[in-house]
Amino acid sequence: MNDLLEQFLVECRDLIDAATADLLALETAPDDTERLNGAFRGFHTLKGAAGIVEFPAMGRLLHAAEEVLASVRAGSRTVSGELISDCLACLDQTGRWLDEVAATGEIPATPEDAAEDLVARFAASGRLATPGADSVPGGAVPTDGTPPDGVPRGAVPAGAALGTRVATAAPDWVARLAARHQSEGHRARAALRYTPTADSFLRGEDPLAVIARIPDLLAVELMPRGTWPPLDELDPFTCDLVITLLTAASADDVSTIANTGFGVLEVWPVAAAMLGPDALAVLEEQARLAANDTPEGFAGRLASAGLVASNVLRRSGLPDAASAVADAARTGQSDRSGAAFIAALRAALGDTEEASEPQPKTVMPDQSGDAAPRAQTTRALRVDVERIDALVSLVGELTAAKNAIGHTARLMREGTDLAAQSRALKDQHALLDRLVSELQRAVLGIRVLQMRHLFQSFPRVVREMSRELGKTARLDIEGETTEPDKATVEALFEPLLHVLRNALDHGLETADERRATGKPPGATVRLRATRDGDQVIVEVADDGRGIDPAKIRLAAARLGLASETELEAMPDQAVIELIFSPGFSTASAVTGLSGRGVGMDAVRSAITRLGGSVAVTSQLGMGTSVVFTLPFTILMLGVMTVEAGGQVFGVPLDVVIETTRIPRDRIARLGAAEAIVLRDRTVPLIRLAEMLDLPGTARESAGGDVSILVASAGGQAGAEQLCALEVEAFGERMDVMLKPMEGLLAGVTGFAGTTLVGDGGVLIVLDLQELLRCQESPL
Amino acid sequence: MTSARTTGPRGRVLIVDDASLIRLFYGEVLRGAGFEVDEALNGLEALEKLLLAPAGLIVLDVNMPRMDGMTFLRTLRRGDQPLAATPVLVTSTEAAPRDTELARAAGANFYLVKPVSPDLLIKHAALLHAGPDGGPNAAPEVGPDGAPR
Repeated sequence: MNDLLEQFLVECRDLIDAATADLLALETAPDDTERLNGAFRGFHTLKGAAGIVEFPAMGRLLHAAEEVLASVRAGSRTVSGELISDCLACLDQTGRWLDEVAATGEIPATPEDAAEDLVARFAASGRLATPGADSVPGGAVPTDGTPPDGVPRGAVPAGAALGTRVATAAPDWVARLAARHQSEGHRARAALRYTPTADSFLRGEDPLAVIARIPDLLAVELMPRGTWPPLDELDPFTCDLVITLLTAASADDVSTIANTGFGVLEVWPVAAAMLGPDALAVLEEQARLAANDTPEGFAGRLASAGLVASNVLRRSGLPDAASAVADAARTGQSDRSGAAFIAALRAALGDTEEASEPQPKTVMPDQSGDAAPRAQTTRALRVDVERIDALVSLVGELTAAKNAIGHTARLMREGTDLAAQSRALKDQHALLDRLVSELQRAVLGIRVLQMRHLFQSFPRVVREMSRELGKTARLDIEGETTEPDKATVEALFEPLLHVLRNALDHGLETADERRATGKPPGATVRLRATRDGDQVIVEVADDGRGIDPAKIRLAAARLGLASETELEAMPDQAVIELIFSPGFSTASAVTGLSGRGVGMDAVRSAITRLGGSVAVTSQLGMGTSVVFTLPFTILMLGVMTVEAGGQVFGVPLDVVIETTRIPRDRIARLGAAEAIVLRDRTVPLIRLAEMLDLPGTARESAGGDVSILVASAGGQAGAEQLCALEVEAFGERMDVMLKPMEGLLAGVTGFAGTTLVGDGGVLIVLDLQELLRCQESPL
Repeated sequence: MTSARTTGPRGRVLIVDDASLIRLFYGEVLRGAGFEVDEALNGLEALEKLLLAPAGLIVLDVNMPRMDGMTFLRTLRRGDQPLAATPVLVTSTEAAPRDTELARAAGANFYLVKPVSPDLLIKHAALLHAGPDGGPNAAPEVGPDGAPR
């Protein structure tokens, strides 16, 4: 990828983040001109960036959004939730394009299609500042598309004012889809297009399962998004599909049912798409005609409107709609009202909503679909300038120190005052030592990432989720500037998302329920990161209904996690912690947000993988708090080296209690096992070489004393279990940068990772506690 | 009864316009599209013709001597059904929004601004006309009239 594109990616992602924050702030404070200007500038700059790299589709989309924001600035439009949603959707699409650019290294060739739909949303909703723009295809003065002089399209205000708009033109793909399946077409009521996010499979989301939930399927088409790549480049774990389908269920029903997946979902009523724009315009006009309730000639007008409308519908292949509309027109003549006719017409076209909201039911069930891949695809690391400057100056000092050693070496070779030179060498070593550790800290500083990078995506997530759930929730964020290791920050995304989801879905009550219990209607979810020594604490706390231990007991009994009597005897806190059990879920119905089959046990194992722990506390009626405790730095590790089976291994110092040498005769045999007595405690003895399945050197030939490393085998501080490991020799202590096991070795347990040592060799660092757990000590 | 006298495959269209050039032009276009065409010079003559032979569609001008288009339309809609329900397509050079409003108030089913291209006229005649059988419940599908799409 060239430099220009890399710069483009980095800059655009920053702009998207900033614009997202501005938009969300704007939604809560619509009068905040600062935020409005910020968002506007963001879109404007993004558009400019698109122009520079020659990405017309992106420019076009951003231009549409920018226009809308411009009209807000001009005061001709007010900020609404829909407006914010559309702008955010626009940023989402831009983010997806950026991912594509990052993955392929070039500007996507044909994204026009995706852009057009979104652009149409801005245009269709009449949000563009064009005066007189009207989404109704044709006004009362329909033309071939070019308005005659002096008659702007849609300049006739009457229809809209009477609420007689019956449908909005659907995008072309709906008509094409219906045309491809003509035999089923007459039954089709809704068309759906679902574009799952590329990582759907990895999220445990099965797009086909989403589709399978939709009733009355008539036709389903699965298409790749672009051309398939060559087979050897095909990534089977990437969801590269666009799913389109026709169903006999109504558009509203379909939206409700399918609105659970990750990705973009569009639902359109089919009927309107089967009619051309001219036919639609004629139908609109019949609705207007029926809305005129002047008594004189009413029956005649309504009868002719019914006649025309039913003929148009029947000739467009919608015979059922035609007779429904004709019936309604007849009823209307006796009732002397056109309302039933207009309603029938609207229903026939599947447009059940009032005229103000046009159709594309694009839902973004979960913004995480974009945020997570972004976390993975962002390869560029943003670093403060001071940190780089500090590195540069350190490197300068190191160079000077290196030169000084060269100088000393020369003097020593010449043999002048060896004692003085060795003192100088010692000083230089001390200097080098200091510089190297500073360098180490500085490099680590680059790897740290403020929690802000993680937290900034969550306000958006909470917004989308609470809207979807019909709850009012505010997200309070604290401790954004906490700086744990980059790896920790990135790996926290999924677990935090899951816990937030749970809080919103299960934890929070609806506004009505809250009012009934005397709480403020808007709920608060607090997301807080704090540093506590060498740990970072991340807490998600809500003020919702809390976890009811009684319900957990019921669910646990039903799942067979424990017997009812056992559960009764358990303290409430222990019961609450059962939510971490694998497969545990109290949700009676799987809702769109949580209950995807990934439970709190997945959260716990993710946190454990990071070397942390997770705890939950809850008070019924008051709220729930989930606390992650994680190591602040997971890279630097103090280890000592030991020899076993003729090989050198590293052992993390934090589990080493002591090292000692004991006479062989102090080893006691206990059945097949061995133990030693250490300060009045019996400690099981394990030979490390044996534990690792290495050919151990025979002890008999190894002389009198045995080298023993006493390690903690887990358990609470003060009452921890000890374990004695017999090794062949102790090596040195060192601080190492631990590299986790990768690739095929990633799943191997018992190894904390590897590190490079001074002689260029690789040192394997053991995870003693894990090894000991596998060992199942006989004591 | 609306269809009693129709013989063209797509039914009968009554063109009401005082300009002979327009009647000739519309007539040619619509006959070419398979409609049977009759003509009237003003509203009054149109009413007389309709009483003799109902039409599946009326293409109506606005400004005409003796009885103008709007008066004719209001009279038609006030009358007895099924005649009162006859689809009416108003064509006029008057493009101001007020005229479309007037036409709608009088009971027009659609409004086209002159000059009307042959395509546009055929398209809308095909959409609006009541077909050889007249009413909406006049069974079966309206034969070769061709759905608009």
